[in-house]
Amino acid sequence: MVVRQYNEELKYLEKINPHCWKIKKGFQPNMNVEGVFYVNSTLEKLMLDELRNACRPGMTGGFLPGVKQIANVAALPGIVGRSVGLPDVHSGYGFAIGNMAAFDMSDPKSIVSPGGVGFDINCGVRLLRTNLHEKDVQPIKEQLAQSLFDHIPVGVGSKGIIPMNARDMEEALEMGMDWSLREGYVWAEDKEHCEEYGRMLNADPSKVSLRAKKRGLPQLGTLGAGNHYAEIQVVDEIYDKYAAGKMGLERIGQVCVMIHSGSRGFGHQVATDALVQMEKAMKRDKIETNDRQLACARINSVEGQDYLKAMAAAANFAWVNRSSMTFLTRQAFAKQFKMAPDDLDMHLIYDVSHNVAKIEEHIVDGKPKTLLVHRKV
Amino acid sequence: MDEELGGLTEEDFYIPPVKYEYLDHTADVQLHAWGDSLKEAFEQCGMAMFGYMTELNYVQIKEVHSIEATADDMMGLLYHFLDELLFLFSVEPFLICKKLVITEFNTEEFRIVCKCYGEEFQIGKHPQGTEVKAITYSAMQIIDEPKDNKFEVFVIIDI
Repeated sequence: MVVRQYNEELKYLEKINPHCWKIKKGFQPNMNVEGVFYVNSTLEKLMLDELRNACRPGMTGGFLPGVKQIANVAALPGIVGRSVGLPDVHSGYGFAIGNMAAFDMSDPKSIVSPGGVGFDINCGVRLLRTNLHEKDVQPIKEQLAQSLFDHIPVGVGSKGIIPMNARDMEEALEMGMDWSLREGYVWAEDKEHCEEYGRMLNADPSKVSLRAKKRGLPQLGTLGAGNHYAEIQVVDEIYDKYAAGKMGLERIGQVCVMIHSGSRGFGHQVATDALVQMEKAMKRDKIETNDRQLACARINSVEGQDYLKAMAAAANFAWVNRSSMTFLTRQAFAKQFKMAPDDLDMHLIYDVSHNVAKIEEHIVDGKPKTLLVHRKV
Repeated sequence: MDEELGGLTEEDFYIPPVKYEYLDHTADVQLHAWGDSLKEAFEQCGMAMFGYMTELNYVQIKEVHSIEATADDMMGLLYHFLDELLFLFSVEPFLICKKLVITEFNTEEFRIVCKCYGEEFQIGKHPQGTEVKAITYSAMQIIDEPKDNKFEVFVIIDI
């Protein structure tokens, strides 16, 4: 890391509007593009404080400040546009959390980095609606919450209750939500309301280590710990009546359930395995990065391709996982209210991933380009 | 590789003193462990990780398993050692360890063999602490200064 006085560092940052800062080239070595981040005044202070702390003499903290991390990502081979910090930006491993970066698929030097996806591959949120009103839930709040706890295993060391053997696992990894549908855990229309229809087609379970599969098997259908949750929520305010209506959200006080979880130990192990492989690929292909945590491989290398296929399998695992918990949530509500889940209108509104890398078409400098977009939030 | 409970001797139930602490980070935790040798600092670091997952007072020594870790350098060895321990907890035998004894500590070929003492993790018996997602190289430090009798390790775990 380049060490300068805080005032010197600030010369590389420019506030271009009240919510947006530019990070100029030279802030970190070898930047191919500029960086940019979006913040309000509270987040702006946090970002600049991270930088100021890192500039203190003798500071050998664990994390690089988020601004430095955005700049390090801007130095990765093949990056296009800018290295972007979205409004949840803060210091992470390698990539900042909230860091988004796209790489040109037609450039043979372009890379894929597991650090740009994160350990919890396809961590994401989904929202289920109900036709219940807050006043229906209020009298049995405790029982309903307890019932959710009884149905969905949570926390460290918890094991899933969805029956699954090694062969089911292979199929689930390949099929994603199509597996959940075939096994009767989800409704056909759930797929329509899920990113990628709940299935990444390039998933290849044979690119996943036995170790990852072993870690994943007992954890399918478990919520996890940390910031993961299954939460009963109430519509508080409707901003856009038309859009809300399309989602089946029609009134204040309507009860919803949000599930935030990912690929559990399975995804963590896929990421760990890939980091080890990529360290070797970096030595071989002489890829230099500004931070050891930014382990990466060329998209077209064996390691790069294997990672993308294993990552897609982990993404499918996460969708099966969230689908399994959707099933369990519907069961918990059905038991409490003695009504079938479809009579409770428990439809999936949407499921979106926030830790993933995907191949997408975008316009760069006026020309259409095929890009590998990393998103980690 | 598993020994029957009957195979455990009195010595196996001896609980080593705690030589580790947890240093807070933004959203993560840094394990800091030390000892009279680098081997002991490694053992303590592993126990620190288990201590973050539950309260070790609730764990009994009922079984012993053996793990092996290899790497290309010292940092890699520490990383893989902890990753093997995390794996032992995450899959059958779901072992939560109260005590670790490294029986082979080869710093030239970077190889560790370790005996892991504990029991299967049981919700209800063992308080649920924090889930460890992965080990990281982030700000990893290994201090190996025999002339000052200084042996310490620092590891950030992703939680």
